[in-house]
Amino acid sequence: MPINDTNTIAGLLSRARCVQLAQYMIDGARPGSIAALWINLDRFQQVNHSFGYTGGNKILSIIANRLELATGNGVHLGHMGADEFLCLLPTEGLSQAVALAEHIMTMLEEPIMLNETKLHPVARIGIALLEPDEDSVSLLQRADQAMYLAKRNGKRWLQAEGDITAASGSCSILANTELEIESKLHQAIESGGLSLHYQPILRKDGSIDAVEALMRCTVNGRDISPTLFIPVAEKTGLITRLGEWTMSQGAIFARQLDEAGYPIKVAVNISRAQLLAPHFSQALSSALIYAALPADRLELELTESLFMDMSPTVQENLCDARAAGVGLAIDDFGTGYSCLANLKDIHAAKLKLDRAFAIALPEDSRAFAIVKAMTRLGQELGMTVVAEGVETKEQMHALLHAGVDAAQGYLYARAMSGDDLLAWLKVHKKKHVACVRKLSHDSLVR
Amino acid sequence: MTASFDNSLNGELESAVRDNRIPPCPLALEKISQEMSKPDPDFRHLTQIISSDVALAAGLVRLANSPFFGSRRRVASVNEALMLLGLNTSSQAVACIALGNVFPSMPAMERFWDASAQIAKLSGWLAREQKWPGVRPEEAYTYGLFRDCGIAVLLQHFPHYVRILQDANNEALRTFTDVEDELLPTNHVVMGSMMTQSWWLPENICKAVRHHHDIKHDMGRKDAPFRYLVAISQLAEYLLQQNTGRSKTHEWEKLGEVCLQQLDLDEEAVQALEAKANEVLAERE
Repeated sequence: MPINDTNTIAGLLSRARCVQLAQYMIDGARPGSIAALWINLDRFQQVNHSFGYTGGNKILSIIANRLELATGNGVHLGHMGADEFLCLLPTEGLSQAVALAEHIMTMLEEPIMLNETKLHPVARIGIALLEPDEDSVSLLQRADQAMYLAKRNGKRWLQAEGDITAASGSCSILANTELEIESKLHQAIESGGLSLHYQPILRKDGSIDAVEALMRCTVNGRDISPTLFIPVAEKTGLITRLGEWTMSQGAIFARQLDEAGYPIKVAVNISRAQLLAPHFSQALSSALIYAALPADRLELELTESLFMDMSPTVQENLCDARAAGVGLAIDDFGTGYSCLANLKDIHAAKLKLDRAFAIALPEDSRAFAIVKAMTRLGQELGMTVVAEGVETKEQMHALLHAGVDAAQGYLYARAMSGDDLLAWLKVHKKKHVACVRKLSHDSLVR
Repeated sequence: MTASFDNSLNGELESAVRDNRIPPCPLALEKISQEMSKPDPDFRHLTQIISSDVALAAGLVRLANSPFFGSRRRVASVNEALMLLGLNTSSQAVACIALGNVFPSMPAMERFWDASAQIAKLSGWLAREQKWPGVRPEEAYTYGLFRDCGIAVLLQHFPHYVRILQDANNEALRTFTDVEDELLPTNHVVMGSMMTQSWWLPENICKAVRHHHDIKHDMGRKDAPFRYLVAISQLAEYLLQQNTGRSKTHEWEKLGEVCLQQLDLDEEAVQALEAKANEVLAERE
């Protein structure tokens, strides 16, 4: 290697200074409150072989610059020699250190152009949190070892053994998916990784009643399933942030649909936490104003878990939304916390029957009887009744026979991106009108 | 405080959404954010998109060389600026440039942007000089520019918002947003944070936009970077008021003490900054 412990990168601490500084930070600090991140670049030697000393140095200074940009002022950066860097920081715990590691990796892994060649740096990071009675040399060594293990095991980052988490009995190789998911959610929020997909809801006559907006989360090109990230978002309180974003983006898309000649409602899912958060009404108004969307073009889908505890704040917020002209829909009805008193109080415009019922049709006559009764009940209360999860024509026949007003499911369309939905609306509109009309006609003839 | 939609507000909301509109997110920003979520961002494609807009390209190179977006090396091209700043920071720089083009020029708007630009400049300078933990100068600068973007949106939608703004600026006791909440279905902090979220600005900036009038309330960690951003911009606004007599509000009387505590500054230090701020404001871009 042409470059050794020269530490010529301006602005970064030398190895010796890092050890000193770490010791200074450690003195009087409680265990777990200091993190060391040891960062190494994969295949850096190849860069040196191909581009020589000057090329290698250029890469190192770009990496050093990106590290400075990726970290805040409270983080100390060191050059530990060759292609190895160190971040030292006070931390509140592992999740904060992991979030920083993820952020650093994102920043470092942006391609670098060198002599018209595009290079893709890959970073590996070892994380160590301060242990009781540990000195700085040991802390840095453990971070280094964790980096080495990450490299050997093909992991992007790894937490060092013998830290606080490990002492409490959990595995040393970090596989805490909730933490990983939380950190990925933060990353998605910061780096454009959130998007909405839309699934159409069709009326009996084939016209579109609404599209339901469903959130997608993509980090580093990989999708994280909503079944994984929604529960974590609910647990960590991030759901309020995601929910507000969904409201505004859903409203913006409704406006786009309108401009494209499709005056269709967009339905967004609202969580209980959102309705309990302060300023829900202001957020809803802001979404409508920002998108310049009339209120009746947005619909709020309320999951049944909301009805576990209809606090005055929730009731007031729902009442405000309805008064503003925003439609309310009760989602997943018929399972979980269904309570008829809630139907009476909420004044929703739409009742969506849980997919469990559609799936049981047409064979299950008891399910059919329940669907028929719930449909009647909803309609008597002035609601549009929608069957969710419709996958086959046979199910649809049965549902139409039971009297539902509209349906949603794979039979008609999967959830798709905004652009795909616009294309779908254009191409399939007529076809679906004809198809559903025929279904409707057939079921009435029987 | 919760706004309620009585009948008059309903009507107001309806007429507000009928006409004026803001682009949900400028195209270049949307493209950068799309690339950011990919494992292998295509810099060439982004360079093409940004370069096709001459004003945007020139603005990005200028910002990449500005002291707030802090690089030691000077860049000469869009491609270099993107490489050196990285996508996150480039995205902030592009947002800053795009913001000025979004709102139509009306006299009230021009004064408003002028004040925001000065606050941004002072905030970037303060962050660079004082090096508070977790605060980057470019973030302080971007935040200064976007802090009150909700006001611009509301000015566009509600003709009488100018009056509400005056009332809120003259309000010595209640919080600024309490005055808005009484008269409008929303307020500029909720609106502003929605816009910054939609433009993919860093979460610290979105949070700081949301809480810049209620930093007094206990909101988790005292050393959270967004609290520094809020305090820096309030101090910047105060320095601007002291130096130019413009952008008068009662906010420093309400929030100054908390902000100085957050920034660990005393009156003497503020006086010293006041003298220097004059020079910073006089500097040409």
